[in-house]
Amino acid sequence: MDNTLTALNRFGLGARMGERASVRDPRAWLRAQLEGRAPDPTGAPALREAVEALSTFLAAQRARDRERVVEARRAIGAHQARVLQAVFTERVTTDRPYVERLVAFWANHLCVSTAAGPPVAALAGHYERTVVRPHVLGRFEDMVLASAKHPAMLVYLDNARSVGPGSRAARQAARRGRERGLNENYARELLELHTLGVDGGYTQQDVEELARVLTGWTVAGLGPQTPGGEDITFAFQPAVHEPGAKTVLGVRYARAGLHQGEQVIRDLCAHPSTAAFVAEKLVRHFVSDTPPRRAVDRVALTFHKSGGDLRAVALELVELEEAWAPDSRKFRTPQDWLVAVLRALRADEAPEGLPRVLVQLRHTPWAPPSPKGWGDTESEWADPDSLMNRAELSRSLPRGPAATRLDPTGLLDVVDVAESDPLTALLSDSTIPRPERVSLAFGGPAFQWR
Amino acid sequence: MDRRTFLRGMCYGGLATFALPAARFAQIPGRGKLVFVLLRGGFDGLAAVVPVGDPAYADTRGLMAFGAAELSTLTDGFGLAPGLAPLRPLWDQGELVALHAMAIPYRTRSHFDGQAILETGLGRPDGGSDGWLNRLLQVMGGERSGIAVAAGMPRSLLGVHPVTTWSPATLGVVDDAYLERLGVLYRADERLHDRFEAAVQMRETMPPMGGRPRAARGAMGPIMRATARFLSEPGGPNVAALEFSGWDTHANQGMAGGPLDRLLGGLAEGVLALRDELGPEWSETTVVIMTEFGRTARPNGTQGTDHGTAGAGFVIGPTVSRSAVVADWPGLGERALYEGRDLRPTLDTRAVLKGVVSGIFDLTSAQADRVFPGSEGVRGLVELMA
Repeated sequence: MDNTLTALNRFGLGARMGERASVRDPRAWLRAQLEGRAPDPTGAPALREAVEALSTFLAAQRARDRERVVEARRAIGAHQARVLQAVFTERVTTDRPYVERLVAFWANHLCVSTAAGPPVAALAGHYERTVVRPHVLGRFEDMVLASAKHPAMLVYLDNARSVGPGSRAARQAARRGRERGLNENYARELLELHTLGVDGGYTQQDVEELARVLTGWTVAGLGPQTPGGEDITFAFQPAVHEPGAKTVLGVRYARAGLHQGEQVIRDLCAHPSTAAFVAEKLVRHFVSDTPPRRAVDRVALTFHKSGGDLRAVALELVELEEAWAPDSRKFRTPQDWLVAVLRALRADEAPEGLPRVLVQLRHTPWAPPSPKGWGDTESEWADPDSLMNRAELSRSLPRGPAATRLDPTGLLDVVDVAESDPLTALLSDSTIPRPERVSLAFGGPAFQWR
Repeated sequence: MDRRTFLRGMCYGGLATFALPAARFAQIPGRGKLVFVLLRGGFDGLAAVVPVGDPAYADTRGLMAFGAAELSTLTDGFGLAPGLAPLRPLWDQGELVALHAMAIPYRTRSHFDGQAILETGLGRPDGGSDGWLNRLLQVMGGERSGIAVAAGMPRSLLGVHPVTTWSPATLGVVDDAYLERLGVLYRADERLHDRFEAAVQMRETMPPMGGRPRAARGAMGPIMRATARFLSEPGGPNVAALEFSGWDTHANQGMAGGPLDRLLGGLAEGVLALRDELGPEWSETTVVIMTEFGRTARPNGTQGTDHGTAGAGFVIGPTVSRSAVVADWPGLGERALYEGRDLRPTLDTRAVLKGVVSGIFDLTSAQADRVFPGSEGVRGLVELMA
């Protein structure tokens, strides 16, 4: 692949028509994008809106007021739609597409799912804004810690309900004949999916011990006793926390409390297995479905030596020879594909119906099928029905006078095809109506890869 | 009624001498077809295959208890909910097995863990594993292929064996000339061109149904009919994965004619539509219907039920050895309930699935173990199948 198109399509989110000529040095173009903080497309007002919508919902639920519950659900849905609109407009229009790709990557790595219910549905945008964006060019452990303390994650993976079996809360419950105890859901995924990886060297005992470490990490403002209307935030509850020393991965953490969990998470993030696991996932995303060993080792080394500095890691990815190899390519996920189409057409915002289309393309924003997040390989996305879906959608996309004016050969600027590829001839075949030629470019195979 | 008499005629323990109808032997091995239907959301088995004969049933279910007269009696103690009454003829013909007190081998009340366990066929959650249907395709010999007829690729079919997908959703109207031109483009792409060809082929078998965006809920009939048409194509797939959502009935579940019962009615009609559309091919088809977990034995405070543990499922088709309610019934009494709230699991979903796939595809028990890794200690209920 042409190096400029590799930068624009592989690392970026898709070339815009006419953009290719403006990129002189592809690597420098990518490096420059990593300077400064990640953009914040949703902004603080949206954050308040999310918390308000959720508080209203919870209050209505407590009051068993069915009408208000329905109304509040609708408000949460409307909020989510607004936030998604902002996030996807950023992806479609940004001049720092590499950063947006990294945001999407890390949001998927530490994913929550709006399908888990109203609290997560309301807070998913807030989660991306406060957990992922501030740290996407910062430190990995800060991102994981922020995720561990975010209400969306605490609810999604049930840690908010986990109770230390030896805690005050459990003993009180037992006196009233009720049983309250551990929920190891989050602890397991923190080890398996967020840090060490499934083969990272932990045992079932480590999972349980980590679950005990993390008891008391809960959410204020969600419980059935709260009157409603207050803030929904992380709260460490000593009464729910399992007392005593704990041992995770052979390391003894003597003093119970909030600090204990923070220290264990920092140690997990600094573990060599984490560097290897994260590096392989990144190389799979930026290089190939079968990550080359050498590239993985280089990224892992940078991750480890820099103490999980994600900007350093992003710079290292740009330097990987394997990422620029002419035969390496990645199949675009539906979100990638649709954003690339909109960027190619130089759309100035994400269309309102975009989330709905993504549902049909099976890539619902912020609703991955499992805590593992969306898959990242051709085998998971390039099935026949998906190719047909894209062909159909491509056909219906170029509409209106703009589509008729558009010169289809301009699209040769955004897809990497050889002179001999039949697309070259088709795009300039004036016997085919212009909009159909545009459709052929988006629905054809070349545009499915980045 | 004590537990022992309740079990009589339901348990498959001593059926070794059960006589098989001669016609069954005429089946060509490996020609069977499996349709796996996943009801996402945790469907309420106690409101579908109703244990009306359990002495604790009426008290436990309270206002949500059916009266015996409302049900279509199967065996002593169990009846089909009104919505499922259309399946009665299948029972009479010896083609319906209802499974009860069945659960995945991992205790969870989480939808995604439960679905992941059911779909990967493993004993515990494993983020990266293949689906069991895909592993089945990897293990069984001969011509085999799988299709997902669903608005998404179900986890159960995901894996290294190539499978195909089809959904009734259409995202735009396309004509043949456009598809032909795309075909020319795809021929230049080694990796993708077979898959695009397959998609065009399927379009010919099954013209788009028109723009229903989400066919998951309430459209079981059309999905089942589409499945039947794919399965009966010459050289068509022999494994199909379907999924329907909307079973997570936390509130206002309703009784006869209510929301859940209407869903059950749709399911029953869907099964009959599949049978009718398959015609003669029905004789070698097996439909398995399962869900990630059952629901609480008692109603909750909002006329619904919450996430529970064991529940019901079905194995349907002329390929089963006979109609039966298969359950080692644990009872609904206060002390019998799992953790004081759920129907107690006494049957492992893998025992059923191993029995079914061994029967349909002539797998050895070692092969069945490979489809369900870690299940060596779980005996496949091969006697379910003729």
